[in-house]
Order: sequence, then C-alpha cells, then structure tokens
Amino acid sequence: MDRKDIKKWIKEPGKMGHKYSLHAIYFCTGCGIIEVPPVITSRWDAERFGVIPVATPRQANLFLITGYVSVKTLKAVIRTYEQMPEPKWTVGFGSCPINGGMYWDSYNTIKHLDKYIPIDGWIAGCMPRPEAIFVAVTHLWTLIDKGEAKAYVKYREKYKYYRDNQEKVLGKLDWPALYKENQK
Amino acid sequence: MAIKIIEIIGAPLLAFIIGVFFLGLFRRIMARIQWRYGPPIIQPILDLIKLFHQKGFSHGPVFNLGIILSLAGSIILILFIPFGGMCALKNSGGLLVILYIMLFAPLGIALSGGEGANPNISIGISRKLILALGYEVPFLLVLLTLMTFYKTISIVDIVNAQSNFQWALFSPLFLSGIAYFMILPAILGVRPFDIVGAPQEISSGPAVEYGGKFLGLFHICHAFNLFIGIALFVDLFLGGGENPITFFIKMLVVFILVVFIHAVFPRLKIEQAIGYLWKWPAVISLLGLILIQIIR
Repeated sequence: MDRKDIKKWIKEPGKMGHKYSLHAIYFCTGCGIIEVPPVITSRWDAERFGVIPVATPRQANLFLITGYVSVKTLKAVIRTYEQMPEPKWTVGFGSCPINGGMYWDSYNTIKHLDKYIPIDGWIAGCMPRPEAIFVAVTHLWTLIDKGEAKAYVKYREKYKYYRDNQEKVLGKLDWPALYKENQK
Repeated sequence: MAIKIIEIIGAPLLAFIIGVFFLGLFRRIMARIQWRYGPPIIQPILDLIKLFHQKGFSHGPVFNLGIILSLAGSIILILFIPFGGMCALKNSGGLLVILYIMLFAPLGIALSGGEGANPNISIGISRKLILALGYEVPFLLVLLTLMTFYKTISIVDIVNAQSNFQWALFSPLFLSGIAYFMILPAILGVRPFDIVGAPQEISSGPAVEYGGKFLGLFHICHAFNLFIGIALFVDLFLGGGENPITFFIKMLVVFILVVFIHAVFPRLKIEQAIGYLWKWPAVISLLGLILIQIIR
C-alpha cells in the first residue's frame, strides 16, 4: 500500500482489490505443501501481503499447485480450478509441475501442467524457499498491474485445447464442459 | 422527522463502519498475539472491494434472497439498539423484539445454504441452529432477569436507568452480566464456539458455496453480528453511553476481551459447546433470576 496508489484505487478499485487480497487455495498435491505452513504462520506471515488460505475454491482467487501432480490429482486440480470465480490466478510451485522434475520418467505423473490448466507463473526449485512465494506474489502484483496475468482468459479462449489434453490423460471426463466452445 | 430519517440511515452505516473496523482489528490483534506483523487494518475493506468485483456463483433465487434476508434482519436489529444516546426506533420494539429478530440472521443463512445443496452447508447450518438453541436458554434467562429488575421491556429505559454509573454489572444483576459474557463468544461465533464455520473440519461451513458478492454480503453480516452482540452487552450491563464516543470505547474494551478469549481457547465440539452452555451460563443466569426475586 502506497500513497502513489491512490490514483489507481480511484481509477480501478476492482483491480487493486484483487491485487491486495489474494485468497489462496492449495492442497497437498506433493511435497511442496511442506513449505506452505511456515509461510502462512508466524515465521513468514503471508497475511501482511493480504494472502490468506481459504477452505473452499469458491472463495479463492489464487491457486497454488504445490509439487508433482499425479494423474489422479489432476482430476481434482481441474475441478478445483473450474470452480474458482473469475478472475483467478494459478502459480505452479516447485520444479515438478514445470517439467516433471525428478518424476520425469514416471508413468503416473503428468510432466507439463500448463497443458491441462493455464498457469500465470512458476516458482522453480526443488524445494523453493518460502521467501520464493513472496517473490511470486509481488511479481504477480506487477503482472496484475500491467494486465498481463490473463491465464483465466486464455482458458476460456482455448478451452477446446485444454479439454482435449485433459481427456487424453483422464479418458472421458464425467463432468460437463465449462464453456460451450472457444469463446472470446 | 428529518433527524429520524438520518438516524435510520446512519445507524446501519455506523454499525457497518464499526463492524468492519472490528474485523480488521480482530485480525491485527490475533497477528500480534501470534508474533506476526499482521495485515493492514483496512484489509477487510480491501477484501470487500475485491469480493464485490468478483464473479459470484448463484444457485438459485432462494440462495440470493436468503443472504439478503439475513442482512435485512441484522439491519432491523441495529435500528432497535441504542447507540450512545441515539436510537433510531426509540418508541417501539424492546427486548422481546430483539430476541425474535436475533434468529433472522441464522435462518436467512440456513435458507440460502439449503439451495446450495452442499453437505458441508447442511452440517454447518445444523450446528448453527443447535448452537443458537444452546445460547438462547441463558440469553432468555438473562433478559428475563433484566426485565424483572427494571420492570420494563424497553431497552432504552434500561439504558436510562443505568445512567450516572449505576451499571447493571455492579448491581444485584452481576450474575446475569457474567452469564451474558460467558455466552458472548457463542453469540459472536468466535473461537471456543466457532464450530459453525470451522475451516478445517467442514470447509468454513455455511460459507462453503459463497463466492464473490455473496461472500461479501456474508462478511458484512458477520460484521453486523459482531456489532450487535457487543452493543447489546454494553447497553444492558455497562450502562450504554452518554455519547457515541464513550459507547464506542466501552465496545472496544469488550471486543478486545473477546479477541483474547478467541486467541487462547481451542475449538469445542458441538456437544461440548451445548454441555457448557446449558450447564454453566444457564445455571448462573438462573441463580441471578432467583437472587433478583429474593431481593424484590
């Protein structure tokens, strides 16, 4: 929060609100979750950035994918992502969602998460330090400010691509399509 | 007439500002107790701005109307509560009306949640109604004691009778005051009694399907609820206030005590909560009623 921001607050209150009030949802997709409790509790205190954990996807607008994503978890990841209200942002945490990491030859782990849901940013490392989450959050702020964090729009526009990729891995999906077709 | 209209519009606005300020202070004090820096004090306002700019999901007309009913119940209740010498609906209402309207907020949430059709909501709602059943018994006894002692059902008269530092907390009514303070966390839904919206057990209970502006309205309801519970305690037992500033200072003291209770205690189970509420506050308030009957 800065005095310089007052002009922006008057101009685009919604955008600034989204920026400074990121409600994060995550679940134990992998070992990355071990870095999250220190981040939200006394040691690193994410609440001073406005980042708090919430219990349900309906209330969240930041999705942290912490660690490798197995095929079974991918289903839950997609469903959680589709339930979040727009605008929403996703951050892949650790090297496993980026390119498989140490599970590069695993038969049951997906290698590139951004084929299945759109990702706004990555935190590389195995494991990244908790400070890296703050770097990611502040970087996300600049992206939101410039209007570049638009992965959720990409998901709407190229829904067919993502849905096809999802069905390639999971077989026939037992929930209806979120969007009818590719829409602008 | 003009003053009355200003009061009717101003009272919920004032309650909203104080409630939201309390929400911010709540998070701030909790952070300091846990040795954290904590969010800025305006964080709830930032959250509200964000939530009202988000795309919320609706599950049907009752889902929309229930939350509005809950909000309306809270706003009507605020109009009956004296706030440091000013009370929007002075000549009507009274403790009995307050007792009835206090159930509007949970019922509205229950209606709204029923449309949501999520099992977590059903559990949360049933817990909320059971908890309300738990604290209504001592609450009713406390109000009965007050009405017998002051021989009136008007809350404005009760406040006026306590002017010049004749606070009910330091009169024969002290047992009722203690009982009310013991059920105050249950009325406000803070920690020994935050079984209703437990995030770890039932994914924040009734709020599980709320997103966007619905969650914003839910937060505003919560802020109003904080204001109502504490303002009632100040009015009934701490003598109201000569002007809004002294009233606000008294509210602040009670609120900070409640936050300390929230910080220290772990969450109870629902049957433990009912056991506590029907045992200790109920017995103490009953003793207070008997004491008043003997004194008269």
